[in-house]
Amino acid sequence: MSSFTIDCLFAVAFVLPLVGVVLSLLTRRFSWNNTLVQSIFILSGFAGLIAGSYFFALLGIGNSASFNATFFGLVNIALNSMQVFFLMLVYGGVLLTSLYAIQSLPPYKDVYVLPTLNVASAFFIVGMQATILSPSLFTFLMAWEIMSVSAYFLVIADRSDESLRAGWLYFVMTHIGFACIAAGLLLLAGGNLFASWHDVALSALSATPLAISVAFVLLFAGFGSKAGLVPLHQWLPYAHPQAPSGSSALLSGVMLKVALFGFIQGVALFPFVPSFSAFLVIGIGLLSAFFGALRAAVENDAKRVLAWSSIENMGLIFSAVGIYLLVHGSPDSAVSAIAPSIALFIILHTVNHFIFKTGLFMAVGAVASKTHTRNLDELGGLAQRWPIFAGIFLALSLAAAALPPFGTFFGEWTYFQTLASGMTVSALFGGSFALILALLALVGGLALFAYVRMFSAIFLGRARTTHAEQVSPMPILLWLPPLSSVLLSITAGLFLFPILSAPNAFTEGMTLFGDVAVLGGASMNAWWVLLSVLSIGVLLMVFRRFLSNRNPARITDTWDCGQPITPRMQYTATGFSAPIRFFFKSILMSEKELIIEPISMSNPWIVRRRLVWSIQSFFEYWLYRPIGIAVFAVSHAVKKLQNGVIQLYLLLVICALVLTLATTL
Amino acid sequence: MTYLLITFQALVVLLSAPLVVGMVRTLKARFQNRQGPSIFLPYVSMLSLLRKEMTITKHSSWVFRVVPFVVLGSAFFLALVVPSLFFGIVPSSLDNIFLFGAVVALGSVFLVLGGMDTGSTFGNMGSSREMTLAALVEPAFYVSLATLALATGAWGMGGIIGHFTSLPWLVAVPPVIVTLIGFLFVLLAENARYPVDNPATHLELTMVHEAMILEYSGTYLAMLEYASAIKLTALLAVCMGILIPFGISAPPVTFFGLGVALIAFFGKLALGAFAIAFIESVIVKMRFYRMQEYMMLAFFIALLGLAVELIVLYH
Repeated sequence: MSSFTIDCLFAVAFVLPLVGVVLSLLTRRFSWNNTLVQSIFILSGFAGLIAGSYFFALLGIGNSASFNATFFGLVNIALNSMQVFFLMLVYGGVLLTSLYAIQSLPPYKDVYVLPTLNVASAFFIVGMQATILSPSLFTFLMAWEIMSVSAYFLVIADRSDESLRAGWLYFVMTHIGFACIAAGLLLLAGGNLFASWHDVALSALSATPLAISVAFVLLFAGFGSKAGLVPLHQWLPYAHPQAPSGSSALLSGVMLKVALFGFIQGVALFPFVPSFSAFLVIGIGLLSAFFGALRAAVENDAKRVLAWSSIENMGLIFSAVGIYLLVHGSPDSAVSAIAPSIALFIILHTVNHFIFKTGLFMAVGAVASKTHTRNLDELGGLAQRWPIFAGIFLALSLAAAALPPFGTFFGEWTYFQTLASGMTVSALFGGSFALILALLALVGGLALFAYVRMFSAIFLGRARTTHAEQVSPMPILLWLPPLSSVLLSITAGLFLFPILSAPNAFTEGMTLFGDVAVLGGASMNAWWVLLSVLSIGVLLMVFRRFLSNRNPARITDTWDCGQPITPRMQYTATGFSAPIRFFFKSILMSEKELIIEPISMSNPWIVRRRLVWSIQSFFEYWLYRPIGIAVFAVSHAVKKLQNGVIQLYLLLVICALVLTLATTL
Repeated sequence: MTYLLITFQALVVLLSAPLVVGMVRTLKARFQNRQGPSIFLPYVSMLSLLRKEMTITKHSSWVFRVVPFVVLGSAFFLALVVPSLFFGIVPSSLDNIFLFGAVVALGSVFLVLGGMDTGSTFGNMGSSREMTLAALVEPAFYVSLATLALATGAWGMGGIIGHFTSLPWLVAVPPVIVTLIGFLFVLLAENARYPVDNPATHLELTMVHEAMILEYSGTYLAMLEYASAIKLTALLAVCMGILIPFGISAPPVTFFGLGVALIAFFGKLALGAFAIAFIESVIVKMRFYRMQEYMMLAFFIALLGLAVELIVLYH
């Protein structure tokens, strides 16, 4: 377990996807091409996970010590535990999604060009790793661009019109984000493109407060647009669902975390954060969380529900980052004591969101590949065909809705409890934390609604289409990776939660089974919760066995008022969310209209009736549309200059020359 | 000894749950100038349901059969952690307020799944409504719980009740009165009572809870009805325990103390049942599509309660 082993393993993990690129192109004519490349990705992820575990075993978890990765003397990168933590998310994601891609991609070999898709995936994986590993500004921007551009090719993989539109939107938004990031970092670095992070931090010391503020806003906008924060989230619900499901899982489960990493690393470069910054981050984070959850609750495309939920969860994480910025380093020890508990939530939720979102994207992809639809209104009744898979999906949905006994619950509990305990600090904190707590509870409620709705629309009741009625059995590699996500989610509560809450306390006699205490002395114990769940379950089984009528149940029809009922009479997902659409009408800008068209001129009673309903994007209407209108107006005004008369153009050239001379002299 | 006390306390809640439902029904009947059934009728009807044959629709999956267990299990958990007779006996990691809220939500979620797994519009409609209510009541619920915790400096149900028993009534209770009103709103919504739901009918289009469990019969129906009775009792016990903390004590427990606690507990339940019956007799059910007004009101009252508490705390 030497440092040389870690070094080798990280190098292997980094290089293997590139080997995959070469092999993918060389063997593109063979049928086993995809399996070979995915196996190489799996190996890469596996090597990386082992390297990361070695790292933490060697250096401990809570330490700020760094490890020099040399990659055989080629470079010298001081890896810290935060980098390795995010790298492990990448490796974990690669491992699960590549395992899944072995069987999920081949049925689509007419839709995607598999060798090129795998090349794009490989560059994407390498780009994400390089972004995290980057020791300097220039390599960071390069790696970021590799990641973004290869993600574009993942989005347009099926070359449909819809994907091309989504890809275009993504491409524009990601480059606006890239420009913001580059500008912000260069402002900090004093214009030195080749500065290492250390140099950037040094030169940021001499930056003016105004430059610092501008740089912060630019970085937040840049990384925030990648993380899908409102109002720069516009591309995410279109782009993420268009990629193949395994890649969607990587995009939503891992790439958003790389954006979070970039933001945290960027903020660490600041000598001080401007006073408004914490409020900006908290506000935007909460807005994203609320808006994401609300749209997830009314969306009909299963993968888009997940994409909106990613916006929600990134919003939650960013709001916590904002609170961390607010309380961290405060001279008041009661205030700064909030910071560790908030950090615990950020870490836990980053892991938990990665786990359940990766699993859910793969699970939804499996459903879509068997039923040929992602529309929740057309699915249903799958729990009777796939009982085990339904159980996996249900567990993932409950994990996503932050219910016990899954890991997500313990993460969110940490957040709620910290906010509640933080109210005792001062009246100001009390009031603002109360509002945040209330909003988080609403977000939690809406997320609950969204996931219950999605699960019941896909799996419960009766099948609505013949595809859904006659689905074939699920191949093992399509349900094994989501099942691993379920197990990981429970493990995150049982192990990660106690370990991360007190990383250094295990040497002092603390055990895994002890209570986890956060701010204010409140405590929680995942083992007790799981134990009580299991024991109450056993107790009820025993009661059922001995106290009730033991005759087998009679299987009958659903109660139908004497008239046969059809699958079409069930509530659709659209109908299920009707109350939410009604209650949040003004925010969702939802409209319902009954269109009546006469058929016969002579009889006004013979008409065709149609109900149309729509949801408009609040931000598209109030933010993007006015900007678009303004841009068009300006370009129309400028058009007047281009009247085709050469004399005017000459005059303009002279004016420009004079102006340039005047400013330079 | 502690485990014995926890078991005893849970058993008392579990055994008295049908009685609360019976009391509410009978008192309501009296308000309507009817004789009303015996208050022990729910025991009889649940026991007879246990012996009946079950019918299960062929359009359901295993989820339908798991639902009663999870719903009743979550209700058992509530009965276990609510300090109805004693406080300070349940481990503080199990009676945490946010875990309490999450377990209530878990029960609601599975009830909703049960209603969705029938292939009938009726259950689906109830589910859609219940899920909306459960989602929107969450802010008021969590804010009231957090206020109670803030007022008492304890993060568990036991600690909260313990605070109120240790201080004179006039010092401890008045600051949280507003919060208790907010909590009452939550209680009515969570337990499908007026003005959110009508628990008495099966065939009105306005209802929520009864629509979801329409396809259940026999043992499973008994389990679900029992679960809703326990949930009502547990939340009522919290509410009444704060309003009238008399009788609740910490170990060591004497026989005299135990007797007082039991009598006080049943007295409080009777009073709570009377209050619910009274409320249900003087107000009408709201239209479902006006529920957001109710939820907003509940939320603002809960927030007002928190504001009052912050003022008390910092001035």
